[in-house]
Amino acid sequence: MSTRPNPPQKRTSLLPKPKLLTLDPTVLIAQHAHLSGNNPITIGARTVLHPHCRILSGNAAVVVGAGCVIFERARVGMGVGGMGDKQGTDTVLGKNVVVETNGVVEGGEVGDGTVVGVGGVVGRGCVVGRYCTIAASEILPPYTRIPDFTVVYGGGQQRVDRTLEMRPELVESKMGLHEKQLDMFQRLVPNQVAKWM
Amino acid sequence: MAQSFPYTYYACDCFDSNTTTSTKRASQVVAAAAATEDEEQTFDPQNPRSNYALYPLEHLLYCEDCQQIRCPRCVLEETLNWYCPSCLFEVPSSVVKSDGNRCTRNCFNCPICISPLVVNLLENADADQGTPDRHILICPYCHWSTLETGVEFEKHTGVYAQLARIANGGKHIPTSKERDKERERRKELEARQRDSKNPLSPSSETAAVETEAREPPSRDDLFSNLAAFYKSQLEAQTPANPFSPGEMNFSSPSAYSRIMNLYSTNTAKKQKRVKPTPMREAASELEGLVIYDPASDSAAIERIKRDGWNSTLSPTQKLAQTNPHLQFADELRPIPTLLCTKRSKRCRSCRHILSKPESKITSTRYKIKLLALNHIPRLSIRALPPTNPPIPSIPGGSTASQPQPFNYNTLRSGIPTHFLLHLSNPLFDPIRVTLATSSTTPGKVQSRVTILCPQFDVGANTDVWDDALSSSPAPMARRSTINAETGQIEAGKIWDKGRNWTSVAIEVVPGFLADLKNVSGEEDGLDEDDDLLEIPIFVRLEFEADVHAEERGLSDSRGSKAERESREQAFWTVVGAGRIAGR
Ligand SMILES: [Zn+2]
Ligand SMILES: [Zn+2]
Ligand SMILES: [Zn+2]
Ligand SMILES: [Zn+2]
Repeated sequence: MSTRPNPPQKRTSLLPKPKLLTLDPTVLIAQHAHLSGNNPITIGARTVLHPHCRILSGNAAVVVGAGCVIFERARVGMGVGGMGDKQGTDTVLGKNVVVETNGVVEGGEVGDGTVVGVGGVVGRGCVVGRYCTIAASEILPPYTRIPDFTVVYGGGQQRVDRTLEMRPELVESKMGLHEKQLDMFQRLVPNQVAKWM
Repeated sequence: MAQSFPYTYYACDCFDSNTTTSTKRASQVVAAAAATEDEEQTFDPQNPRSNYALYPLEHLLYCEDCQQIRCPRCVLEETLNWYCPSCLFEVPSSVVKSDGNRCTRNCFNCPICISPLVVNLLENADADQGTPDRHILICPYCHWSTLETGVEFEKHTGVYAQLARIANGGKHIPTSKERDKERERRKELEARQRDSKNPLSPSSETAAVETEAREPPSRDDLFSNLAAFYKSQLEAQTPANPFSPGEMNFSSPSAYSRIMNLYSTNTAKKQKRVKPTPMREAASELEGLVIYDPASDSAAIERIKRDGWNSTLSPTQKLAQTNPHLQFADELRPIPTLLCTKRSKRCRSCRHILSKPESKITSTRYKIKLLALNHIPRLSIRALPPTNPPIPSIPGGSTASQPQPFNYNTLRSGIPTHFLLHLSNPLFDPIRVTLATSSTTPGKVQSRVTILCPQFDVGANTDVWDDALSSSPAPMARRSTINAETGQIEAGKIWDKGRNWTSVAIEVVPGFLADLKNVSGEEDGLDEDDDLLEIPIFVRLEFEADVHAEERGLSDSRGSKAERESREQAFWTVVGAGRIAGR
């Protein structure tokens, strides 16, 4: 899980991979964000990749939807430069997914508006519904299925966020806040996307 | 005791000393003598009672008047003030008495996961049309919110008061006055119905219809009904007391005994004196009687069938609620934050204050704090690896040159192992220390223990610079060495010494676990933690100290200066040296 790429390798071999990389022109990629792997990576509109986050497609393709935020040291996808086991699972993040600092999404699907908290782990092949919350340091074992509006908290407990489920207007306002945050990042974080185009 | 090795615990003998002092009667003198004899025996860390006597040095206080260690068991605690840990507001004790021990401002804990709730403003789409803002309490961790129980607030402050008026689902909770009025109204209604009807006719359809239409009474309703009923009963049977105020006084002994007479049968018979006539029991719902209704259970079962386990509550969640008889998640109420206290601690025997925090809530400082670690030498143990250089040239060099960390969890049976006992002195006077231990450790696994230098001096805790600035270093005391051929450490000499510390070597031959198994002939001859190598060590200190502060003041007036008295102190400690390896 914490296999970090060797710094020298990162410099030399991983940078020239643009042909498999599909970036929306509005993507914000901060300095020291790290994208690598032999399989295609697709990143949707207005998505923000913070410094030192890692998008790895060594084992399988990675699709990051529109408006996602991947925070520092978070990891999406698996396999460093073709290492690791062969049978990979594609990683698909929906719209407006937030992976907070040190969060890990190792393949599988994550639905729209879901938040993976600080240090949270979504194991390989998990299917996470829409507007779910994986609380800080919660670990979803591989191949877990989580319905919409679920909150995973307190060491593996699950509950349905009935507040959001009952009130669609609250979902809307939550997404509104998310949009504002995206705007703020666009203004504050220097964009290094040209390096990857 | 689960702690990483090595460790030291200090024994407080308050329990034993209490038993000997309390057995003063002539018939028990023999027993007392036996008890004192007990004290002479080696302290047994395996004894179940020892769990209540052993503490790390940091947990202990020290009474300067009794000149003794004080553990949590032999101090008295006094509440200085009450405060809310969430908003850090002090709550006067009168308010605690009247309103209970919970914060009555805006502090609530989540009924699902107990993290603090925050007040959120609901987005108000029609704000320009004059719709007032709505607020909810929401849990930032598990995302529970009062919306799930249908509660919204008008203001973001005074949430406690607002919540007291809103029931789950947004209904209004009647105040006690409104409850009284409603009860009177219904009583009158019932009375009228009874009058108008022929008492012989059994039909009570109208009443039945009415009860069906009403909701079952809430817990608060029943409580207020029962309280009102008791009050009326007390008033009916007691002549009006000119001194008692209008308030009902349940706590008066006679009222209490009469209420309790309801529930006891035998005490009433025993007492010959004519008691006031026992009160009638509550007979109807308006008097606080609730009759068990099996239909509610089947309704609950149906509901679990429909909504699943997720709609029910865990025991922890139920017990955290004001009403612990809730069953379903939609009945949950936010938990008002429990208040905390600041407490002072007094010595149980002389009542002197041992610790007193500053009364300001936001301050974490103490006005008085008599810690044992400022009065009692710290005894610590660590392994002396066999590969150690014989004489460390600088103090502490022995640890620096340690090639690899010693594994305290695999002590080898039968192989002499050396440890260092390190004693550091917090006092400003030099002390003379005598260490004592029995030759074998108590318990099933008997390890042989030898303290190689049981009597030694420890320097005073003087200014750090005194030592460094003194031009001629004091002639170093005799140091023991390891004999290169036999691996033996010279006995009778200290190992090393510094400004206010001295270390001596201790040789331990860990006992055999396997032998014991064979002897007992059972598989489970050993209990958990029998393989612990815990060495009880009796520490005795002698030192000269200034006479007590207040007494010194007296003596100063008499002209004599710096009067010294010799003091003595003794206590048991237990050092955990490690765990004996199984094989
Ligand atoms: Zn004690
Ligand atoms: Zn508070
Ligand atoms: Zn919660
Ligand atoms: Zn005392």
